Amino acid sequence: MKILVCMKQVPQKDAPLKLNETGAWIREDVSYEVNEPDAYALEEALRQKEQHSGEVVVITSGPARAQQVLREALAKGADRAIHLEDNAFVGLDAFNTAKAFAAAIKDEKFDLIFTGLQSDDYGYAQTGVVLAELLGWPHATIIMQIEKKESGIRVKRELEAGYFQFVDMPLPAVLTIQSGINKLRYATLIGIKNAKNKPLRKVAIAEVKSAIGENLQKIERLYIPQKTKKTEHIEGLPAEIAKKLVDKLRNELRVL
Amino acid sequence: MLIFRKPIEGIERPQMPADAVIVGGGPAGMACALRLSQLIDAHNVKNSDSQLSKENIYVLEKAREIGQHCLSGALLDPRSMRELLPGFEQEAPLDAEVGKEAVYFLTKKGKLKLPITPPPLRDHGNYVISLNRFVKWLGGKVEQTGITIFTGFAGSELLFDGDRVTGVRTDDKGVDKQGRPKSNFEPGYDLHAKVVILAEGPRGSLAKQLINKFDLAKDANPQTYGVGVKELWEVPSGRIAAGEVMYTLGWPLTSKEYGGAWIYGSKDNIVSLGFVIGLDYPDPRLDPQHVLQEFKKHPFVGKLLEGGKMIRYGAKAMPYGGWWAVPPVAGSGWMLVGDSAGFVNSARLKGIHLAIKSGMLAAEAAFEALSKGDTSAATLSEYQKKVERSWIKDELWKVRNMHQGFEHGLYAGMFHAALQFVTGGHGLHNRYPGKAGHEHMRKLAVLPPHGGSEEAHLLGPAKGDGKLTFDKLTDLYHSGTKHEEDQPAHLVIHDTNICEQRCVKEYGSPCQNFCPANVYEMLDDASTPNGKRISLNPSNCVHCKTCDIADPYQIITWVPPEGGGGPNYDGM
Repeated sequence: MKILVCMKQVPQKDAPLKLNETGAWIREDVSYEVNEPDAYALEEALRQKEQHSGEVVVITSGPARAQQVLREALAKGADRAIHLEDNAFVGLDAFNTAKAFAAAIKDEKFDLIFTGLQSDDYGYAQTGVVLAELLGWPHATIIMQIEKKESGIRVKRELEAGYFQFVDMPLPAVLTIQSGINKLRYATLIGIKNAKNKPLRKVAIAEVKSAIGENLQKIERLYIPQKTKKTEHIEGLPAEIAKKLVDKLRNELRVL
Repeated sequence: MLIFRKPIEGIERPQMPADAVIVGGGPAGMACALRLSQLIDAHNVKNSDSQLSKENIYVLEKAREIGQHCLSGALLDPRSMRELLPGFEQEAPLDAEVGKEAVYFLTKKGKLKLPITPPPLRDHGNYVISLNRFVKWLGGKVEQTGITIFTGFAGSELLFDGDRVTGVRTDDKGVDKQGRPKSNFEPGYDLHAKVVILAEGPRGSLAKQLINKFDLAKDANPQTYGVGVKELWEVPSGRIAAGEVMYTLGWPLTSKEYGGAWIYGSKDNIVSLGFVIGLDYPDPRLDPQHVLQEFKKHPFVGKLLEGGKMIRYGAKAMPYGGWWAVPPVAGSGWMLVGDSAGFVNSARLKGIHLAIKSGMLAAEAAFEALSKGDTSAATLSEYQKKVERSWIKDELWKVRNMHQGFEHGLYAGMFHAALQFVTGGHGLHNRYPGKAGHEHMRKLAVLPPHGGSEEAHLLGPAKGDGKLTFDKLTDLYHSGTKHEEDQPAHLVIHDTNICEQRCVKEYGSPCQNFCPANVYEMLDDASTPNGKRISLNPSNCVHCKTCDIADPYQIITWVPPEGGGGPNYDGM
């Protein structure tokens, strides 16, 4: 099986949100990490390869620093990597990112494409499913298990309230992987060392420019939420207070 | 039942050969790697027929990212950087050049500015930096050379062959709380190295193994330490100029404790402030994090910070025993650099420039030894000689008795410091003796009762108002520390009976006070003789090493937790 894993570099979860006057995020002291669900997607791809043989390719887009996620993936066992390297990729919405990925892999023939369920920063959960649509492939989301069958795969999807759904799918397909599907492995010293010599194809923005258009989704404003607090005293006899309180909770705050 | 971390026994370990392994990617380790690379490059240009490779030179760094465990004030004396990378000022992340400095003596409400800044604290020409950012930058340079930095890997043990250090074992990954391998277990590697350079920072865990095994400190003064507790603040503009530097002595400490504060103005209205407390204080109830909170309540400091926001917190030990506390720094297959060796100028409160210089000198010795194919003690002792011939010795010799002079309190210390200054470091004796800091701690029975003494204002944990002052857990949250939860405790207590049967009565469990990260807790437990049981929160640890240093019974050994865990000192 030939599997592509789409990975994203995201700010660490506890990164400080510091904005300048124009509302732009000051990222000087921000450290980055692999988007958590993507790490599980990679692990799942490596396990599938170990079971059924094949190849694992990882892809990301972003500036030079984003290469770190590819290096980590190569260190853990991915065979090669594709880096759409340009700062401009950071500003693309999910639709354009999917288009750029589709353009970058047009000469490849994958059996499966994995993405993490969603990103830890924006949390759109769109890139994977849009990519499937662009390629004309079936897709399934929130995957908790993948089993290879003769005619394709059987996947287990996580639904709400502890329910699961099993779906039989043909290949090729796109799957978005849920965190916790497996247990992540550690990179080893020899893996890290060998990763330096694994192939890493860089794709300049010019190569995929024709595929991408205007962003369909724009961020209007980034701001730190104002903390506000309002205290209201309800007066009267206890029975009246209780009645008023229930009325407020039910009709104003709608929590009852 | 507490289970402590130790390398798993009886397993096959992957083996990997190395020319040089540098343990610790701080300023000393990075400078060492960079200098080694420069020497190899120079050799390869001259000798096209005998090319040397950097492929088997490795840096181990326990932090997940380069620089994330680096914490200092920090002021950088650029001397050694100018030698390592001439013109480095053009591209290094230097936040401000020091333009103004002052030293104050604080009383509870007042302050007295010293009429002249004592010469060691004159900082014109130095730079205010974030050590984290600086080391990230330096590490980037090392990565460009082709030397591999293994981030997220700690050195857990030294490998020996008789009296020779033959390598380093890295940490086992994927071990559960009970010490059993998990399904994703990865054994630590045995890195067999021709030379191992320990650049672990203060109280390095491998350095401790080495020093104990060979009794290296037998002819040196015991190393003494301080712990620096730091907060990074963003303040309204106009409060302090970028490059303005202030030091304080006095309040909230009494004359019995050694220590003081720093306040550095950085760019973008960022203020670095912190308090260094000598880990040789007598009262086991003292809490360094509380001292910093109390310090901020001084009107002078409160006014500076009012309306600002605390953005990061951290703590780190520093060695300030000085020249007489430096053990032999080279032996068969090993060298010690930076804070691991104890290269800190305690009068100037600076060690980064010395760390860098010692790393460079170790690289030169390593290069010569590797070129000769001889990394014996005889060859590597060239590093010892290089240090003694260099300005490291010149600088440290002048202040060789600095900290020992303060062993009997602030006033005696100031007398000795002044005397030593005019006598070129000599003072009353060429070599003042010293004793280990923990030996100064006094038992509760001989201390004045609660509330009665002048230091009574520092008793108990800091409460914090949530704006200017913080309790320990609020501060700790801002350290960004994070560890894999399911792993054995890395604070190895050799005998917990001492904690529960003796310490609780004799010293009142000072681990709860001196730890700036709430790792240690004494819980009520009716089944123990004194009604208390020791409990650990290893995930809170900020890797400052204070417990290993300050514990009065010396039964705590700090060992690295699973690589990748620890604080996140971005911007610190």
